[in-house]
Amino acid sequence: MRHVIIGVGAAGMTAARRIRELEPVAEIVMVSKDEHVHSRCMLHHYLSGHRDERTLNFVSEDFFVRNNITWLPSVAVQALVPERKNLILTNHQVICYDKLLIATGADSFMPPIGDFPTASNVFGLRNLSDAQAIGAYIRPQGKVVIVGSGLVGMDAAYALLERQMDVTVVEMAERILPLQLDEVAGQEYRKRFEQAGCKFLLGRKASETVTDGQNRVCQLVLDDGTTLNCNLVIVAAGVHPALGWGLGSGLEGERSISVNDCMETNLPDVYAAGDVTGLSGIWPNAMKQGRIAAENMCGFRMCYEDTYALKNTINFFGLVTLSLGKGQVQEGDQVVVSEDRHCYKRAIIRDHKLDSILLQGNIDYAGIYQYLIKKQIPLEQGQDIFKTSFADYYKVRLDGQYEYQL
Amino acid sequence: MKRIMIDDSKCDGCKNCSAACMQAHREPAGSIYDLDMSDPKNETRNHILADGKGGYRPIFCRHCTLPECAMSCMSGALNKEKDTGLVRYDEKKCGACFMCVMNCPYGVLKPDTLTRTKVIKCDFCLEADSEPSCVKNCPKKAIWVQEVQA
Repeated sequence: MRHVIIGVGAAGMTAARRIRELEPVAEIVMVSKDEHVHSRCMLHHYLSGHRDERTLNFVSEDFFVRNNITWLPSVAVQALVPERKNLILTNHQVICYDKLLIATGADSFMPPIGDFPTASNVFGLRNLSDAQAIGAYIRPQGKVVIVGSGLVGMDAAYALLERQMDVTVVEMAERILPLQLDEVAGQEYRKRFEQAGCKFLLGRKASETVTDGQNRVCQLVLDDGTTLNCNLVIVAAGVHPALGWGLGSGLEGERSISVNDCMETNLPDVYAAGDVTGLSGIWPNAMKQGRIAAENMCGFRMCYEDTYALKNTINFFGLVTLSLGKGQVQEGDQVVVSEDRHCYKRAIIRDHKLDSILLQGNIDYAGIYQYLIKKQIPLEQGQDIFKTSFADYYKVRLDGQYEYQL
Repeated sequence: MKRIMIDDSKCDGCKNCSAACMQAHREPAGSIYDLDMSDPKNETRNHILADGKGGYRPIFCRHCTLPECAMSCMSGALNKEKDTGLVRYDEKKCGACFMCVMNCPYGVLKPDTLTRTKVIKCDFCLEADSEPSCVKNCPKKAIWVQEVQA
């Protein structure tokens, strides 16, 4: 049996490890555009200079040797030929598979604003190659404009402030990290970023660019006419599935590959997992999808069930935040807020069940909230949500594993 | 694999396990008599909660069969070891994103209080001795180590 996996991100690597556990002697081949296995969530540590290609790796250095996996790095897939069960690579190599997993992830979305798509100093921050390219433009007091104040944008801002760059963040919403934080929690980070020298232009959109003679954006024009000088632009405006070649191969899906609960595509023996499926590709979900795909590729019928994706943790300047749920208040909701010098907490309770929670400053032992939201556990009358802990649902199984007693 | 088993009905909340955990992981080493329990550097990896009805709930890392913490670790710092079954934590690899804290369904993990750069996580006292020090120091034998299928 030969398993072929395209992509060495969270989904692909988890799948490879799981296939090896289930089938000690099967052949496993991995193909990746990436030259180095790296964690996309840690690219800002590369920009800040705290990590290098080697320390961005999220598996052991001898992963491929130890798991007896053939890895073909720095090569992309040109075509999938399902009738012959093979892949054609950009180096013209042809690889046959018995089972195929497509885990190619996503690429940065580059909005069609001015010369963004073609300029040489405008980047997304998704792959190590992006971070490497950005690296050439990092210099103290160099002017960088970051478009978008989501997690990727703020990660980039944090890293480049550490490198003494002059950082300006442009955000459409009226506050930073608008999807994860409310006004109060966002303000705490904003203060800290501003103290570190970061400038924010909120409620503003980039609308035009001015390019110098060498194909570099040197000015960004905003929708209110403000002009920002820049040496470097980072666009953090979301991602789209990385699937240039795939959908012409008979794979079903519009912008992403459609899969069923078992991570199967419409083509026989072809599976997909992670961002490329258009399902949530956040790290833990991508790992779970990879694991489920692997089990099905090895003949065990398993379903992807834990699809909850509205979750994030944030850690800037030593201030940690946990955010679960949409955080949108509807009519009839109960909003509970608790605040002290170190900590801000807000919970939205809908129909006696926890809908969203935001904890800033102290997230100790807060793992249970995700379970309460995912499983829609009814809360008791008068239950203090911020004092709720696993002690309230405590049960120990015979094998010592905990479980929820409801 | 070995797991720290818990009989919560025997626990009387004395917190000897927590003190023993602090002592086992303190730096620099010293005797239990000079352990500063109010120093936030000395954090316990387990904790005991009252159930509000006179009983206690010992919260210890389960080194779960399917560990959610390791399944959400974007740096590879948390891994379930094949041979021992223990979920090991590599502080040097950790990216301090704390997705593991959010994803532990039992609320066992926490960021370190002082620096928020690492996770406070049970290591089964592997470096030190044959038996976890919490287990050795429980006067009620409410916790013990047992081989389980996982």
